Amino acid sequence: MKKKFWFLLTLLFTLSIVLAACADNSSGDGEKDAESTKGSDTEDADAGEPKKGGKVTFAFTSPFQGILERGLYEGEDDDLILNFMMDSLVDTNDALEPEPGMADYVIDEENNTVTFTIKDGIKWHDGEPLVAEDIAYAYEVIAHPDYPATRFSNVSMIEGAQEYHDGKADSISGIEIVDDKTVVLTLTDIAPNTMSNLWSYPMPKHYYEGIPVAELAESDQVRKNPIGTGPFKVTNIVPGEMVELEKNADYWQGEPYLDGVVYKVVDASLATGLLENGEVDLMAIPSSQYKEIKELDNIKLYEEASLGYSYIGFKLGHWDKENEVNVMDNPKFQDKKLRQAMAYALDRQGMLDSFSNGLGELIEAPMPPVSWAKADESELTTYSYDPEKAKELLDEAGYVDTNDDGWREDPEGNEFTVNFDAMSGSDISEPRAQYILQNWQDVGINAKLNGGLKEFNLFYDVVENDDPSVEVFMGAWGLASDPDPTGLWKKDDFWNFARWANEESDKLIEEGISDKAFDKEYRKQVYVDWQKLVNEELPNIFLYAPVDVYAANKRLQNVHTNSFTSQVDTHLWWVTDAAE
Amino acid sequence: MLVYTLRRIAIMIPIIFLVSVVVFFLANMMPGDALSGKIDPLNSDPQYIADMREKLGLNDPIYVQYGHWISGFLQGDFGQSFVHKLPVSELVLSRLPNTILLAVIAMFITYIVAFLMGRYAGRRPNTTGDYGVQILNYLALAMPSFVAALLLIYFVSFQLGWLPASGSIGSGIEPGTWDYIVSKIKHAVLPSLCLGLLPIASYTQFLRNDMIESAQKDYVRTARAKGTPEKKIYNKHILRNSVIPIVTLLGFDLAGIIGGSVIIETIFTYPGVGQLFIDSISNRDYTVVMAITMLLTVMTLIGNLIADILYAAVDPRIRLD
Repeated sequence: MKKKFWFLLTLLFTLSIVLAACADNSSGDGEKDAESTKGSDTEDADAGEPKKGGKVTFAFTSPFQGILERGLYEGEDDDLILNFMMDSLVDTNDALEPEPGMADYVIDEENNTVTFTIKDGIKWHDGEPLVAEDIAYAYEVIAHPDYPATRFSNVSMIEGAQEYHDGKADSISGIEIVDDKTVVLTLTDIAPNTMSNLWSYPMPKHYYEGIPVAELAESDQVRKNPIGTGPFKVTNIVPGEMVELEKNADYWQGEPYLDGVVYKVVDASLATGLLENGEVDLMAIPSSQYKEIKELDNIKLYEEASLGYSYIGFKLGHWDKENEVNVMDNPKFQDKKLRQAMAYALDRQGMLDSFSNGLGELIEAPMPPVSWAKADESELTTYSYDPEKAKELLDEAGYVDTNDDGWREDPEGNEFTVNFDAMSGSDISEPRAQYILQNWQDVGINAKLNGGLKEFNLFYDVVENDDPSVEVFMGAWGLASDPDPTGLWKKDDFWNFARWANEESDKLIEEGISDKAFDKEYRKQVYVDWQKLVNEELPNIFLYAPVDVYAANKRLQNVHTNSFTSQVDTHLWWVTDAAE
Repeated sequence: MLVYTLRRIAIMIPIIFLVSVVVFFLANMMPGDALSGKIDPLNSDPQYIADMREKLGLNDPIYVQYGHWISGFLQGDFGQSFVHKLPVSELVLSRLPNTILLAVIAMFITYIVAFLMGRYAGRRPNTTGDYGVQILNYLALAMPSFVAALLLIYFVSFQLGWLPASGSIGSGIEPGTWDYIVSKIKHAVLPSLCLGLLPIASYTQFLRNDMIESAQKDYVRTARAKGTPEKKIYNKHILRNSVIPIVTLLGFDLAGIIGGSVIIETIFTYPGVGQLFIDSISNRDYTVVMAITMLLTVMTLIGNLIADILYAAVDPRIRLD
């Protein structure tokens, strides 16, 4: 524990020192603003024709585990490496819709089948062609009883996968290999979001031949010499530090312009300096260094609202372990007006500006701002900062100060206090929590920290287990590209930490993945209705979707970012200073 | 001496055992485990996590878990890293060479710099040069190593561009070539210097004080009276005697430097045992944390033993029976 404390302290110190130093450096020409682009249009008109050659350094701020197989990796660190070396059968576009990647697909809603046809000319890095068997093999590995990771839910919809998973069958009955390029999957049920959920990465069967599924993650084929089908192939791995990749000249979408990419682990506190002196060409930057990096002349920033969001949840009940349902039995925050009043009392924009350099987009419902299913702002109530309105609502709900101690009492006249929980971990955690408390205290709610900030693990420990002291808590979620809210919001969802059970909500969520919802307009309407409901009921106060900022050296061209990655079409990346 | 060494080694066993108990229980008292970071709404299956906890034995009473761990440990099996999906011994061994390289270079730098500065200051007590060395010393003693690390990175790497700021090796370099060795050493210089800063300061001070003290001793006066040149007195008579106690500190250093690398390796993104340690603590990768703690414990104990034995070896007045 002490070591960890030291580590945090170290980070804190490092930030302040490097920042101070670098700020001095760039204040000379504060006029020149780094161009920053919002959205996805990132065309560079005068950069000239793409040139071949050159190398690019891509940085990430924590060490990687090095499980370089799509079916086995766990962290974002490995994910970023895999983005360079492995393509998907099904891609996700900027508006978060699935579209054909390495394979074309046909969905037959009548017969519940999906047919994948692999496109021409796709080869693994060892020269072997990508075949239908590789797709089938990936499903078999993931459904295998010994499979060590958490992805069974991505294949469980294939007929016979459950039996195979339970060891009752020798193969998955729903997979039919028609020829080398075609595979037909029979699913137990097909839903509008099936293509987003179905596992879409093949595994090189010929390459993993003979390795038991349980040992795959340790094997040299995954750890030391991983292969994929993507634009870059791994040539050298230095554990915990660096991965070197060179271009895959046989890449199916055309030979990459770059000679290679270096994936490097760096300390977050050094981001500004490393970008400034060109040691790093592209990275997602810590928001605390945003201002300094914005001032750098050689850097262009790309800002994208991410797929996650922050929220403040109300504990409305508890998780019934026996029946696996949420029971809404905590009376404290059952009054909708109280919840809304607490939302109006919060200055969310002020929080963003004070603590995150303004890097966030306010949201009123749990849907990524870029999603096609997001409800228009005019359809939702905007809980803008309005302490007067908050006071009004509290008065209406009967929360008034009856004993003149400066704090409101509850409608029965008892003392009303609010316990607030938040995670520690960064230098802004404490002041941000105080800011929120102050906002509530300003409207007469006696809010206080529930014994202090909690470290990540402890925080989720008490929130997950519905500890009686937890009343209001500030957390964050990352979302998938598909808008389906199942998993976080239904009555039988464990991760529904507010323990909010609402029949209408459950009905809408189910409607959104029903057969009728194959009509996209209809599906969108269902989700808009659901967002309206959540926005009105407010089991959580929705704060904001953080904005990810990617910094790229100006010599790097054709960078395209979106809400979930900065590594789109990396084979088109090129550098202006390449020696041709 | 042999009996003494054996006795010391025998005493180590209960110490190691006690440390393992304390660390194991403390580690398990930390909230959360390797699975609590896995909250993932996309795979909304608390059942899986419950199953994994059961499978990993995290639901067993803590003494049962300890029993499992210690019996594996005694058979040389440190377990499996949950996060890295690798045997812990393989994982730690793959990082150990980097840390050892840092330690060796750090000691190298320490001894050379401390010897030169100490000798310089010891020959000229209370002059401007001596005060200069002392100011440097106190600065080095007072400055936390991570502050020193950042200052060094800022000036040496970013401003002057002499040495790389992070990593242990440059990109695109073939292992085994001359370039490879040069690149390795270049990457190790800054972190080693940071690690060595504290010992440099204390050794310099040690050597200086000892030299000043020795200069008053009878044998030095005798040498002077006999007309031995001043240079010879310092180099042959005083220095030899004064260096002895410093050599014995080598043992303590061994442990100190490896402990210090926890912070330094993280700042320099140097993939050694220290970086792995921090990483494993935040991921609650208990098996790795335990293995590295035990490694550090054993190193410290052996370091102390070496120090004691060396001391007896170089100073005949000290007997170890």
